[in-house]
Amino acid sequence: MAGKRHILPGFKLTLGYTILYLSIIVLIPFSGLLLKTFAGGWEHFFKTITEPRVVASYYVSFGISLAAALVNGFFGVIAAWVLARYEFPGRKILDAIVDLPFALPTAVAGIALTTIYARNGMIGSLLEPYGIKVAYTQLGIFVALTFIGLPFVVRTVQPVIQDLSVDVEEAAATLGANRWQTFTRVIFPALLPSILTGITLAYGRAVGEFGSVVFISGNLPFKTEITPLLIITKLEQYDYTGAAALGFVMLVASLFILLISNGLQAWDNKRKGIA
Amino acid sequence: MSIQIRNISKNFGKFAALKDVSFDVGSGELVALLGPSGSGKTTLLRVTAGLEFAEKGKILYGIKDVTERSAYQRKAGFVFQHYALFQHLNIFENVAFGLRVRKRSERPSEPQIRARVEQLLDTVQLREFAKRVPAQLSGGQRQRIAFARALAIEPEVLLLDEPFGALDAKVRKELRHWLRNFHDTTHLTSVFVTHDQEEAFEVADRVVIIDKGVVQQIGTPNEVRENPANRFVEEFLDLGRDSVPV
Amino acid sequence: MAGATTTFRTKVVAPRRATAESPWIKGTLISILLLFFGFFLILPLYVVFHEAFSKGAGVFFKTFQDRATAHAIWLTLLTAAIAVPLNTVFGVAAAWALTRFQFRGRSLLISLIDLPLWVSPVIGGLIYVLVFGRQGWFGPWLFEHDIKIIFALPGIVLATTFVTFPFVARGLIPLMQAQGHKEEEAAMTLGANGWQIFWRVTVPKIKWGLLYGIILCNARAMGEFGAVSVVSGHIRNKTNTMPLHIEILYNEYQFAAAFAVASVLCVLALVTLIIKTYAEWQAERQLRAAAESVE
Repeated sequence: MAGKRHILPGFKLTLGYTILYLSIIVLIPFSGLLLKTFAGGWEHFFKTITEPRVVASYYVSFGISLAAALVNGFFGVIAAWVLARYEFPGRKILDAIVDLPFALPTAVAGIALTTIYARNGMIGSLLEPYGIKVAYTQLGIFVALTFIGLPFVVRTVQPVIQDLSVDVEEAAATLGANRWQTFTRVIFPALLPSILTGITLAYGRAVGEFGSVVFISGNLPFKTEITPLLIITKLEQYDYTGAAALGFVMLVASLFILLISNGLQAWDNKRKGIA
Repeated sequence: MSIQIRNISKNFGKFAALKDVSFDVGSGELVALLGPSGSGKTTLLRVTAGLEFAEKGKILYGIKDVTERSAYQRKAGFVFQHYALFQHLNIFENVAFGLRVRKRSERPSEPQIRARVEQLLDTVQLREFAKRVPAQLSGGQRQRIAFARALAIEPEVLLLDEPFGALDAKVRKELRHWLRNFHDTTHLTSVFVTHDQEEAFEVADRVVIIDKGVVQQIGTPNEVRENPANRFVEEFLDLGRDSVPV
Repeated sequence: MAGATTTFRTKVVAPRRATAESPWIKGTLISILLLFFGFFLILPLYVVFHEAFSKGAGVFFKTFQDRATAHAIWLTLLTAAIAVPLNTVFGVAAAWALTRFQFRGRSLLISLIDLPLWVSPVIGGLIYVLVFGRQGWFGPWLFEHDIKIIFALPGIVLATTFVTFPFVARGLIPLMQAQGHKEEEAAMTLGANGWQIFWRVTVPKIKWGLLYGIILCNARAMGEFGAVSVVSGHIRNKTNTMPLHIEILYNEYQFAAAFAVASVLCVLALVTLIIKTYAEWQAERQLRAAAESVE
């Protein structure tokens, strides 16, 4: 392909338009963010992002997102396995519904989950006698973020399971491995890069999530306040520099997570000997 | 150890892949299952290994009835057409796999495993590749590792599914000779599947020709060549002579 | 045991295949899946419709006669009607440039296109406030000329465009990459010009991937909350989209009304999933056909 450059028409037109549009929608506004972040000077920037209330929100956003992503890692692998390997009635519907969190507006998910887990809700009322509160606690944020991240692990692992060659599992069997040994020594290591990638994607999504969380979290400072909400709070107080500073932190975190995801991809390619 | 295949019938849905197939492979013999694609030869090999199960009939290894045993209990050495190496394990660990998954009481010690694997890597002349991963090896080298891996469990029978099918002509020829020599020194009871009569006649002691799930003829290469049992065998061999480049 | 049977024609009790789990494990795994999906996917769906009709069908339908609700629906449709075509044209252009040509910075460009998927939607709103808001870059100039972007329709459209930016491009790039461009080249040798190649050769090849991208882009555009929330100002009858309207109704304890509006978006999500599943299936078929014709 490399040798056939520019044979087809439209290179300048499409690339030019792509870059122009990208600049208007993404690049110029982002440079606005960068400039505003440091408009108040380094000291102000540093003070803003290390305020106790802000730091507490990091723990909530990044910590609970991690828990939710890990839980999705566990159940996502099981879901991917069942959907890829087993035939049973209703499988196709379950397979299609995996993507619901992509398609359902986050605000709808937020109010639905809050209603379910509130004290008088379907599940909340069952948990109430045991003293377990979900809505308006960190547990509620965890539930919302698990919902939001659900498709990622399933959708990254499922195609890998489908592409696993049955040969390799059969080879393990003829060498005397039982099913469990085949899973732990052959299948799981083959899936591992995709599982980690899926967890990273779910984490990246959960960290920035806003819509589904604000309803169920209760938004108590130091307890259930997420960083994206603090950005909005600062904007409402017309503290644009402060909002930009927090936005910058979130942006750097997202880029870092993106980097991890690319690193996982490179590791997987190297292991397979592609790179 | 001999292999006895007794009245094996196998269907995939309505399609009858094997119809009442019976024959014996003598202890120390090297037998080729030869037939066109879709003839049922690979299915028969997989039934023999315990990777598929027949509706009717029995498989005996020596006097041991293995019909109702799964592949991991039969422990036949099996070599796959596309190698089926473990991509995430290096060459050493690929070969060691069968030893490492044994029950603790039967598992060799680490030095024993090391010695055994290195000896096998010497046998296939790939010892210096021990630390590489399969993706870094050529097709011929991968298939030799697949041999070594199958041999590591000290199988009593060796089953090979189109072992040279994915290789180019030159490497295929080399490996053919290697397999024949290997068999002459070890006399390990072996069955290999091929669609290439050239290959079957050159390597095997006896040839079993299969078509449409039925054994058409069994005999030494010379017997089959000189006295084709029926029209099919005659045409199949003729066809091969014209079209398969040597 | 084997020696006792004289005839070999006995029916064999086949042991479990080497590549299958025991029925017990299989059952357990399927049960875990059902429980997990039940709690996290099916229950929320059920609750939306259950709550929407909790006060009866009368309240449900009355919600939509409310002027504020009607306006929110109108604004949501309008926003999607602007943002989705914009991103569709961009997605096709980007996919064409990225899959038909090799050039330096190609992978950087792909990463940049993906960027909106990685950052918080709140940031998607924030950046426009910083550029167009009262204290933003162009704020004073816009104020002088009496142009409103933030807390007005243009801001909502921009924020929506930002968060839905990558969907069409991402739906097309892998498909067009896999399909290659032999057919386009063939068309060119037959004398077709650029537009003819695009409309007669490329579009039929990519239509399912395109539909897939558009439908996801649309679902996100109509449902976006975080980014729009930042730029909208929540002005009823003016800058409230459906998701924002749901928030207001919910916070005013008009639960049945909130869920009634939510149920409409829920139906939209389900329709999206159905079309997406179908388009995915068709796109895969097209891809497989392309792969076979190469062999």
